[in-house]
Amino acid sequence: MSDIPASAENRWRAWSILAVIGAIIIGGGLGFLVVPLVQGAAGGVDAYTAICRAFGILPGSPARPTPPSQANPYPVTQVAWTEATINAIYGADRSTGAALAAQRCIACHTVEGNTPDPTIPRNAGQSRFAIYKQLHDYRSGARKNETMTPLVADLDDKAIVDLAAYYGRLVRGAIDPLRGGPFVGVEIENLVANGDIARNLPPCVSCHGVKAGGPIETPTLTSQYPQYIEAQLKAFASGERHNDIYHRMRSVASKLTPSEMQLLAIYYSGK
Amino acid sequence: MVRNRNLVLAHLWLAFAVFALAAILGVWQMWVRSPLHAPYADPENYFRSVTAHGTAMAYVLTTLFVMGYGYFVAESSLERRLPWQGAAWAGYMLAVVGTVMAVVTVLSGNASVLYTFYPPLTGSPFYYIGLVLVVAGSWVWCAVMFVAMAQWKRENPGVAVPLAMFATVANAVMWAWTTVGVAAELLFQVIPAAFGWTETIDVGMSRTLFSWTLHAIVYFWLFPAYIAFYTMAPAAAGGRLYSETMGRLSFILLLLYSLPVGLHHLFMDPEQSTGFKFLQSFLTALVTVPTLLTVFTISASFEIAGRLNGGTGLFGWIAKLPWHRPMVLATGLAFFMLWFGGGGGLINMSYGMNAMVHNTSWVTAHFHLIFGGTVVIMYFAIAYEIWPVLVGRSPDAVNLAYQRRQLWLWAVGMMVMTLPWHWLGLNGQWRRVAHFDYSDPLIAWWGPWVVVSLIGGVMLLASAFLFVWNLLRLHARRVPAEVVPVGMRYAQPLYPILRIPAALNGFGLWNALLLLLMVAAYAWPIAQFIAYPSPGTIVHHLDRAG
Amino acid sequence: MAWTEHDVVRSELRWAAAVSGFVVIIFGLTLFAALALHRNPPSNLERIDPKTLHLTGEFTEPNLGTRVETNGRVTVRMVATQFAFVPQCIVVPEAQEVTLRMSSADVIHGILVTGTNVNTMVVPGYVSQVHTVFQRGGDLLMPCHEFCGFGHSQMYARVRVVPRDQFRPDAQGRVSCGP
Repeated sequence: MSDIPASAENRWRAWSILAVIGAIIIGGGLGFLVVPLVQGAAGGVDAYTAICRAFGILPGSPARPTPPSQANPYPVTQVAWTEATINAIYGADRSTGAALAAQRCIACHTVEGNTPDPTIPRNAGQSRFAIYKQLHDYRSGARKNETMTPLVADLDDKAIVDLAAYYGRLVRGAIDPLRGGPFVGVEIENLVANGDIARNLPPCVSCHGVKAGGPIETPTLTSQYPQYIEAQLKAFASGERHNDIYHRMRSVASKLTPSEMQLLAIYYSGK
Repeated sequence: MVRNRNLVLAHLWLAFAVFALAAILGVWQMWVRSPLHAPYADPENYFRSVTAHGTAMAYVLTTLFVMGYGYFVAESSLERRLPWQGAAWAGYMLAVVGTVMAVVTVLSGNASVLYTFYPPLTGSPFYYIGLVLVVAGSWVWCAVMFVAMAQWKRENPGVAVPLAMFATVANAVMWAWTTVGVAAELLFQVIPAAFGWTETIDVGMSRTLFSWTLHAIVYFWLFPAYIAFYTMAPAAAGGRLYSETMGRLSFILLLLYSLPVGLHHLFMDPEQSTGFKFLQSFLTALVTVPTLLTVFTISASFEIAGRLNGGTGLFGWIAKLPWHRPMVLATGLAFFMLWFGGGGGLINMSYGMNAMVHNTSWVTAHFHLIFGGTVVIMYFAIAYEIWPVLVGRSPDAVNLAYQRRQLWLWAVGMMVMTLPWHWLGLNGQWRRVAHFDYSDPLIAWWGPWVVVSLIGGVMLLASAFLFVWNLLRLHARRVPAEVVPVGMRYAQPLYPILRIPAALNGFGLWNALLLLLMVAAYAWPIAQFIAYPSPGTIVHHLDRAG
Repeated sequence: MAWTEHDVVRSELRWAAAVSGFVVIIFGLTLFAALALHRNPPSNLERIDPKTLHLTGEFTEPNLGTRVETNGRVTVRMVATQFAFVPQCIVVPEAQEVTLRMSSADVIHGILVTGTNVNTMVVPGYVSQVHTVFQRGGDLLMPCHEFCGFGHSQMYARVRVVPRDQFRPDAQGRVSCGP
């Protein structure tokens, strides 16, 4: 319909390009040059470092020197869930594990993992990741038990992985206990499903539920002996057992009353 | 003449049906958060609901509405049959399949990862694939919009593309650019992790890629409301659009500056540097300008209408506006809510103030007010305005009265729900919480205000149902209107643009400038994750035990 | 009232100028905070491996909590994990600069401290760092404010701000909330 003069077209183009480039230069100039230089000068960071930090090429703040960090490491477990470890568990050899178990484990834990002694945990169907961690912790001394410690002392990593595969099922996280369990009272069911916010207690299912997405080494609790569960809760509460990464069980168990520990153990033992 | 009425209706009904159901979840969630005892209120249910509500409102309602309305605008403003109709229907089917996949996985408890799905928490891969399919359907929509405008321009060389279509295509351009971020995150990081093909994920990269999408997506939702402000509200008010040039400029500014600003969602994150946060904060300041321009231009357009209707004096024209028309009423209510929501946005963008409100209820209240309030009320108004064209039935006086009531109920309910919510956020109430410890003296006084918000939510639910009811009533009207509207009467500008520069009639220049802006704003923030590979974080699966 | 096209353009440009000025002022506040007060959002960019956080380095368990370093700085180290902060209670001095260093052992968490502007995301793979001064004494709440799983609602720590004379480090420089 109409022809707009080329000069008008060019004017639009020119102003637009100028405006956008101008915005980038002003915003970038302030953010990458002016601000870090001013802040660095005031805070004792040299210009080059300050600008690199503003760009994100170096870590730290352009406004102040990085505080030194004096700390020695004191780990409570030697297990790190790396990609290599997880893949090793996925690729474990169950038959090798069976042979090893026949030598060392079945005397207490039986062939199927359904131990008759209620103080000895059932292993059948337990998460492989959970079993791996406990065996590894027994070996490294992160967890101590008169019987277990000498039995695993000379096992190498592959042996532990295969043993975990023999007894365990490939489960990251537990079976949801809300699908069963004897009725031990509304308060316990509430604790399992909702936790107790006043005591800083998360719900048990937030880690031990099947779709919880919690820590990878979370063990299956369902069908475990109540005596064993209760003993572990007490051990975590007192700090006697301390191989849980970052206090995950210690901070929970230490807030439970003895009665709650007993009832929770019964609740989880149900099929 | 709108020929593809069924295509438009299919999109809009899916959007509104999902919206009404998700509104029920919203009310239940507010009930759970309050000191009142709500049923089924455990964390697994709560977070499942939050995921469903967020996915439905942020991804399904919005995308389907924008697509449907876009098809309507393409036919009605260009007065031309939609090209590639088969593709458009295919895009709709993709969106339907995707919606079903996503909704089923969420409701079955396999994807309680929230609609922001921050890894390493990972749900079922089919949740993400469902969302990818919805986005894929919307990309088909983008292509159809581009082709429609290109074909029209070829047939009408040198003529200004009608503003409604120009803005719709601007929206499609923006959507194409912004979905790159979330698509990259899902396709290259999250879906492989969800399938178990990789055990670790780079969390910094995924948050940054998601942030790319996070801001422009809200403008994607907002564009229809602004299109209604510029092209429908002035006509409904009986006036003219004050300045079409400023309208085009505003849409262009929104396109340019809504994209390179996503890092302002990561102000409090350790994986991005001060310099890039500052640059994107500056660009965020620029994106406030087109909204402020819009407020002026539309107010001026309404002033024209008011004075044409006999209004005099500095403010007397306001009373003379035809408030009985839903489009006019909705615009007024939207502008009222925009003051609060927009002001909240200005606060969010300022670092220091952002530190006070980040991840508190202020944020949740803000986006419910600005999106749920200002934008969605315009979705209602648009629906009321175009439904007669789509179904061949006009509302009678009773229908119109109920439409107005529904709009008032929505606006009042939104203010009642969000104002206390903002206040609690400012006092430290944090987000995404199923239960508060109301026995703690620090928190106890929040309880009554959460109940007030709950009351607002119930009002919104009633309004949502009334909205669907109003649309159904139009379908069900036995007597077709004597004058069946065949097309939309778009607002005329006060001074039509006789000679349109290419810059205001196409997107070649703006795409080039966008490339420049995105490279400046996002190149290193993303490349740093490739230059300095992360050790990786173990994936946490929420859809299975193994 | 005769509005010519020229009047329209002029009024729009005037408004645009006014609005831009308003935005410049608001943005100027950010610039002022950056240049005069030297304030930045937390952007530490210090990378760390979340998978070995508990094994090596400064975030092993016995190092967590408040410590007065040999140079007199007060540093608080905390870890965020599903579903508790370690430690769950920290003591900090009033009216003295405190550096908070945090990392995540597993998923994304975040913290704010009620009544202050301490607010940061805690992202696995990074050390988040915040420098602050607690102006008023008392017990403050430090909830986790980003969804981290089903235990998110119950995840919080307590921050006890004590007057300087009650802030007494032990022989290793540590201060804790007690049993």
